[in-house]
Amino acid sequence: MKKKLLIVEDEKNLCLLYREELTKAGYKVTAVADADTALEQIKKQTFDLIVTDIRMPGKNGIELITQIMALRKDVPIIINTAYQSYKHDFMTWAADAYVVKSASLDELKAKIKELIG
Amino acid sequence: MIERYNLFLHEFSQEASKELQLFSIIAQSFFQPFSLTDNLLVIMTALTAGPGLGFNRAMLFLTDGDSLKGEFWLGPASAEEAESIWRVLSTPGIGYPEIIEHNRSLLTSETDTLTKRVKKLSYPLYKEQALIPALTAAARQMILVRDARNEPAVDRRFIETIGTDEFLCIPLVSQKEVLGEIILDNSITRVPIGSRDIELASICGLYAGNYIYTAKLQKRIVDMKKVAAMGEMAMFVTHQLRNPLVTIGGFADQLLDPHTGEKKKKRNIQIIRSEIRRLERILLRLSQFLRIDVREKVAVDVRDMLNLVQDSVRARIAGRRITLDIEIEAGLRVLLCDPTHVGEAVRNVLDNAVDAVGDEGHIDLRAYRENSEWAVIAVQDTGKGIPEAVKEKIFDSFVSTKERGMGLGLAYVKRVVDACGGRIEIKSAEGRGTTFKLYFKTEPRERGTAP
Repeated sequence: MKKKLLIVEDEKNLCLLYREELTKAGYKVTAVADADTALEQIKKQTFDLIVTDIRMPGKNGIELITQIMALRKDVPIIINTAYQSYKHDFMTWAADAYVVKSASLDELKAKIKELIG
Repeated sequence: MIERYNLFLHEFSQEASKELQLFSIIAQSFFQPFSLTDNLLVIMTALTAGPGLGFNRAMLFLTDGDSLKGEFWLGPASAEEAESIWRVLSTPGIGYPEIIEHNRSLLTSETDTLTKRVKKLSYPLYKEQALIPALTAAARQMILVRDARNEPAVDRRFIETIGTDEFLCIPLVSQKEVLGEIILDNSITRVPIGSRDIELASICGLYAGNYIYTAKLQKRIVDMKKVAAMGEMAMFVTHQLRNPLVTIGGFADQLLDPHTGEKKKKRNIQIIRSEIRRLERILLRLSQFLRIDVREKVAVDVRDMLNLVQDSVRARIAGRRITLDIEIEAGLRVLLCDPTHVGEAVRNVLDNAVDAVGDEGHIDLRAYRENSEWAVIAVQDTGKGIPEAVKEKIFDSFVSTKERGMGLGLAYVKRVVDACGGRIEIKSAEGRGTTFKLYFKTEPRERGTAP
């Protein structure tokens, strides 16, 4: 059975790119644009892994992670952001991986594979 | 009953001793606009001027890295020069300010041979067995030299330069650092340096050390602020450029994939093109943000300035159910450092209003004279208002609530208004709308014109 990914990314084009590329990589992808929609999805269905941006309108990625941890402790989370510096925010330690956005999606794909196969 | 006194004394009572007047003048000099050289000059003048401590000459060294470097040297170079200078300076009516002015002119003059001589001197501070003058600073002690030529602790070249056997060295220190050194002598009058001279000079030394320390800290703070601002800017650029780059890179990779169909290829090219345009917009906004500069203010007609702005906003709301009312007081002129940037700032505020209103609502743009000093350019909308949580942060650079916002708009507005010496007031209620008021100084009315 295909593994289920939830992508939280507020940039429309990036969201589209992630959906296409990760679907091609063999995952079943749900992509949403903000933290609240992500939480609704997490309450509705079980994901194998969540990839989230940090800076988004509304709740940011770190607030989102805190709330995911209250709902589903065991789901692996990858932070995918343009900023190196959030690594120093202690809440990002709760995530399983921190991938800085790059023009190649190889690192992100490799991390997902490493975490859930 | 209360009595009030000016903190900055200009005249002293008859009982006030010479020393008290001297230290008052030095203390007051620290409140003059910040210039290290000028204020050190005041201290050096206090040490040498007749009404002050009355040393013949005063030499100043400042620490530069690990060495002590000659900075300036006040006083006459010879007995003849001394006579002429002191005659002028003892003329009745010549006071402290005149003497300081005189000394300042000496420093910039081409013929000040003393300063030229001392500028050639440089001593390593932390050498083993340092000689005077470096020894004074290294040991953080005052040293009185009585018979320099027969004293092995004094550097030979220094004796040649100073040309006298008796001088007093005072280290300039802060709690942790050695900041410089002052060397005083009476080479012209040959009056021996006494214990009262040493006591008073030590206080001047402490003042000077403390003052240099403060000046250095001040400079460090300014540097740190610059670095912090650059760091913030670098972080912003990283983020703003990275998102479009990731998108462009990803969709370009798909183009190279032989399995990608024609329709998708075309879509990808369109996405890439729009992201490249976005990059261009980001760079444009960024360069605009960095270019704001404080310039001489000019009086600008508000109506003229806002003409172009109105057109661009009208174009933006065309086709939506947004009404725009504009009321600009005729002949209203405000003082601005850069009308183009202010116009752009008003357009930013109006753009925000349009975004806040959405598809239906009302926007008011008004410009009027608030009172004799201030004019207001106000933008009021019936939009969604500013969320309470964001209110405090709205002027910070790179904070945005919009999906594609850069968080530069209001930071830009604030920088422009600040540069013009104006201020901003905001009233906002969530769900009911926002009013932005930009205050600018008005052009002063001609006397006798009716209000």
